[in-house]
Amino acid sequence: MENIEKKIEMECDVVVVGAGFGGAAAAKKCADAGLKTIMIERSEKVGEKIISGLTIPFHGFLFGPDFIRDGNPPIERPVDGIINYIIKDIEKNDIDIDDSLRVPKPFSPIFSVGYNAFCKAFCEWEVQQAIESGVELRTKTTVVDVIRDNGHIRGVITENNEQIWSKIVINAEGSHGLLAIKAGVREKYPPDTISLADVYVYDMDKKDIDRIFGFSLKFCWGWDEQKIAPPLGHGNGLMVWPYSDSLHLMQDQCLRKDDGPVYNLAGALRGYHEKITTNLPWWRDEIAPKVRLRARMWDGFEIFVGLDKRLRNMPNFTDGMLLIGDAAGLENTELCDGVPTAWFSAEIAADVAIEAISHNDTSASFLKRYDDRIKAHPIIQWAITSTNRYNLRYAQKEHDEKKLKKYIHDGWGLGFCKHGSSALMKITLSFIKKDPKVIGKWIRMYLRYYYHWHHRHYENIQASDGTQKKQKGIKLKSYLRLMDWLLWITSPLIRLLAGLLEPLSGAANPVMKLIFPIIAPMYLWFIKKWDMAFDPLSKQLVQAVVTSDPSIFDV
Amino acid sequence: MIKSFEDIPGVEWVPGTGEFIKVNSDLCSGCGNCVKVCLGSCYIVKGKKAVIQTLERCMECGACWYVCENEAISFSWPNGGTGFKTQWG
Ligand SMILES: Cc1cc2nc3c(=O)[nH]c(=O)nc-3n(C[C@H](O)[C@H](O)[C@H](O)COP(=O)(O)OP(=O)(O)OC[C@H]3O[C@@H](n4cnc5c(N)ncnc54)[C@H](O)[C@@H]3O)c2cc1C
Ligand code: SF4
Ligand code: SF4
Repeated sequence: MENIEKKIEMECDVVVVGAGFGGAAAAKKCADAGLKTIMIERSEKVGEKIISGLTIPFHGFLFGPDFIRDGNPPIERPVDGIINYIIKDIEKNDIDIDDSLRVPKPFSPIFSVGYNAFCKAFCEWEVQQAIESGVELRTKTTVVDVIRDNGHIRGVITENNEQIWSKIVINAEGSHGLLAIKAGVREKYPPDTISLADVYVYDMDKKDIDRIFGFSLKFCWGWDEQKIAPPLGHGNGLMVWPYSDSLHLMQDQCLRKDDGPVYNLAGALRGYHEKITTNLPWWRDEIAPKVRLRARMWDGFEIFVGLDKRLRNMPNFTDGMLLIGDAAGLENTELCDGVPTAWFSAEIAADVAIEAISHNDTSASFLKRYDDRIKAHPIIQWAITSTNRYNLRYAQKEHDEKKLKKYIHDGWGLGFCKHGSSALMKITLSFIKKDPKVIGKWIRMYLRYYYHWHHRHYENIQASDGTQKKQKGIKLKSYLRLMDWLLWITSPLIRLLAGLLEPLSGAANPVMKLIFPIIAPMYLWFIKKWDMAFDPLSKQLVQAVVTSDPSIFDV
Repeated sequence: MIKSFEDIPGVEWVPGTGEFIKVNSDLCSGCGNCVKVCLGSCYIVKGKKAVIQTLERCMECGACWYVCENEAISFSWPNGGTGFKTQWG
């Protein structure tokens, strides 16, 4: 809305639109810096309109907001790897497996590659932390427009025509970007970049999930003519996430194939689901008899936006407004995870908002530093430009099994090291360089998360096992003390090493590519042979964690 | 009254949404794209024009809006606190 008459109904420093994964993190950081922050959410209760997978990968927790890393968010299950089923002929049961992405024992299951969670429970927890920092939350309120004053955004207008004036707006509205479009900052995405996800939640006994899934996700990929999964490169087949006492299952497919016709998704997605759940041996025999449908939902999300240069370069800031997370087009183009990038961009946006307000300058020229930092963030850039999912279409086109396996291995198997090592090395070293003691916080995070997941010790969730057995075996408390002490005395050396190695991060991908053919088979051989040998140690570690006094995991 | 549907368990719909999705029949070509992608069966094509039968089964996914090549569909959010909700997303 252009140059409206100013009727101040509400004035604050920062308005955050959307109390999802990113919005809550941005709002909390602004409030912690003493800014008067209002967060506006259209749903009645936080998180009840957010539909997701959801495995949040480890890098989100390690390199995202401190309060999440050092807190106790409600998680549904740690994840120690992915089992990919490559379905060549379902009738003949001709299925290959790539389970190369796996945390070896004794690290698994405590040191995980990610955590599964329900969006509502997780976002409610995040928002609660934000409220405790002083954020004012308004639910049941849809933001319908921005307030413009000579082109500069000065706040938002709600559906009740209420004006909320602010020094800066952080737009965390999620995927469809209706407010950004209304504000003239971004445009509607083309349908071939949007995927429609069909999500099913099944009740299943925890003991059965422990036995059948353990801590692994199961993903299925099939040749198009099998008609059991969406066309390769245009969607994901059956993806199953084990939760605490339920399975989360997703199939998704782009709305359109390049410039071709719009898919008949209402029929297709139903067909895949029926066919795969009745024909896939492990689902049909082991899962189907034990599950009951708890929920079904669907949502559209911006899967390939990052791969289109023009869309990727659409503005993520303007005079008076910063866009974060899905609203800024930061969905991962391969793993379809957007929570880590929502968190990273939330933190950057909050920092920039704090700086802009302290300089009394929220113009686009000042806010440009936000875009610069997003572009310099190694993980964000890696996430929005990964191509293995998209490239699956070429394997199908040429019906090339080798290619199919390669893309799956590189996207959802060990092959990710060939394109993800540089980003991970750079960010890890930059954190360690800043404060080597962060290593201790990471380790405590893994232990704390596992402890609380095991006991279901979360606010609003009934604990399943409140009794504490007496601690036997490994004395974690002493080990943690020793670790703290070692980190303390070696800090200067670690910092120096991290500083020296960080500039070499760019070489990690090429080096990995070079040595991958030698080290990958060795690693896979190692985990096959040694997993059994290390199993007792893994169990001892789990036992030590779950029987400890949880206060030793606090930071 | 809050609504739920047997074929879409675990989700509830709070009334009072308003007409948050609209079809401009002057622009609609009757191509049926919206019908094809709507998993909630919210649309039908009648007399070569798309008609919204119900928004009570709408999951606000935006698919219909994305696939309409004639910009005949206007898409906005339902009134705050209304529309679908779930705790299992
Ligand atoms: C099916 C599916 C599977 C996915 N799987 C994964 C996964 O496995 N791992 C992963 O990391 N990510 C996954 N994602 C992506 C992830 O869910 C998103 O990237 C993440 O939620 C983005 O966070 P955000 O804060 O940007 O937006 P959201 O979390 O979507 O939050 C946006 C919030 O803004 C509110 N809102 C929107 N407009 C307005 C308005 N005008 N006024 C007031 N409030 C408004 C919404 O109600 C919502 O609460 C998946 C997504 C989908 C759809
Ligand atoms: S997609 Fe658009 S043009 Fe086609 S039938 Fe639906 S409303 Fe009409
Ligand atoms: S938003 Fe999604 S569920 Fe709602 S009418 Fe459109 S396609 Fe159907």
